[in-house]
Amino acid sequence: MRHFAAILLILLLSAHALAGGVYQEPDAFIAEVFADKPPKAAVIWPDTELKAQIKDILGHDYKGLRIRYWKQDKRTAWVLDEIGKDKPITTGFVINNGRIELVRVLIFRESRGWEIRHAFFTDQFDKASLNSDSQLDRTIDNISGATLSVRAVTKLARVALLLDQAAQVEKES
Amino acid sequence: MTGRKPRRFIAFLWHRRIGLAAFILVIILAITGIMLNHTEELKLDESYIESPLLLGWYGLEPEGEAISYDIGEHVITVLDHLVFFNAHPVTRSEQVFHGAVKAEQLIVLAFDTELVLLTHDGELVERMPTGHSFTDIQRIGIKYKRPVIETSDPLYYMADEHILDWDVITNEDIAWAEKTTLDQTKMTALLESFRGRGLTRERVVLDLHSGRFFGEYGTYVMDAAAVALLWLSCSGLWVWWSRRMKQKKKRHYQKHHRRTGTSI
Repeated sequence: MRHFAAILLILLLSAHALAGGVYQEPDAFIAEVFADKPPKAAVIWPDTELKAQIKDILGHDYKGLRIRYWKQDKRTAWVLDEIGKDKPITTGFVINNGRIELVRVLIFRESRGWEIRHAFFTDQFDKASLNSDSQLDRTIDNISGATLSVRAVTKLARVALLLDQAAQVEKES
Repeated sequence: MTGRKPRRFIAFLWHRRIGLAAFILVIILAITGIMLNHTEELKLDESYIESPLLLGWYGLEPEGEAISYDIGEHVITVLDHLVFFNAHPVTRSEQVFHGAVKAEQLIVLAFDTELVLLTHDGELVERMPTGHSFTDIQRIGIKYKRPVIETSDPLYYMADEHILDWDVITNEDIAWAEKTTLDQTKMTALLESFRGRGLTRERVVLDLHSGRFFGEYGTYVMDAAAVALLWLSCSGLWVWWSRRMKQKKKRHYQKHHRRTGTSI
């Protein structure tokens, strides 16, 4: 019985240790999504209107005056941060033709809610786009015990789509 | 002789004693309770304590030493992982700080595997993780008004003017950032700013309400105040009830025994 309890404790601790952390370095993510030939990074300096739209989604200003992205044709990649409960969740997004191609949680620093890294959650964003109200065109299912993390990544997905729209306009102009 | 019954008198006496003893504590409990019920309206969780006395009481002293780099008119300091532009907190980094330089367009701060970019006015522009190609920063310098990074390899990387791309260069003519010591005035301003971010008014009100503010046994004192409040309610009821009964008896006596009473 004592051994069983010890094994259970070790398993629980190791599961907890494995839960959070760096799943993929942002650089490695960018290299992977552009098949090891990433384009040069570009930056977007959100104007007042874009800042207001981002603030409307996040409920606060996005930290920083400029946001880096990588663009190849109509495909853009973004690495964005948003706080789940206490600490930022770093998430990578690839947008292709105005629709989400890939969502990947890169760094998870919180102690709870790491389940959002799994494909069963991130796959829900496949081909998602923004409607006229800057909302996703679908409902993202919650994960019990990870509500704040789910909310943070969903908000970031909307921000990434919004930034992609701005980046496409910026390049065209 | 007072004519009071001993049991009733004791209840009244203790009602008075406990009422006086718990007076201050009950006032604290009531006021802080009301404040906590209106935390959002009073913005208690958004405002910070600046009183040195209160901050000292909470022991809000920084654990580490301030690491400062002079960048011309301004100073960049990292104190307990908080990054300050002069005395204004800008951001936070858990990594070791390796220096700051003022480049042509931006101020660049170097941490182990991250660069923080600020405008010349100290506004946060971007946090740049350096990634695989470029890790383990040792120090930062400047060449042709562009930031240069030395890694542990050692390799030297110089950024473009927008600080987006980095090229390997040789270690020549690089002016490396050097630490500086803050004078007393700047240090005082920095510490005030550091402490000011650490303690919300809500925390103090919450601690006053729970008694934790008064130290280890403070919670027991507030528990005692709550028990006293309970006692006051019960003893108050008892005193009121016994007085009512007394008056009832008196009225009954006056009604039925007045004639006998006056004849005596």
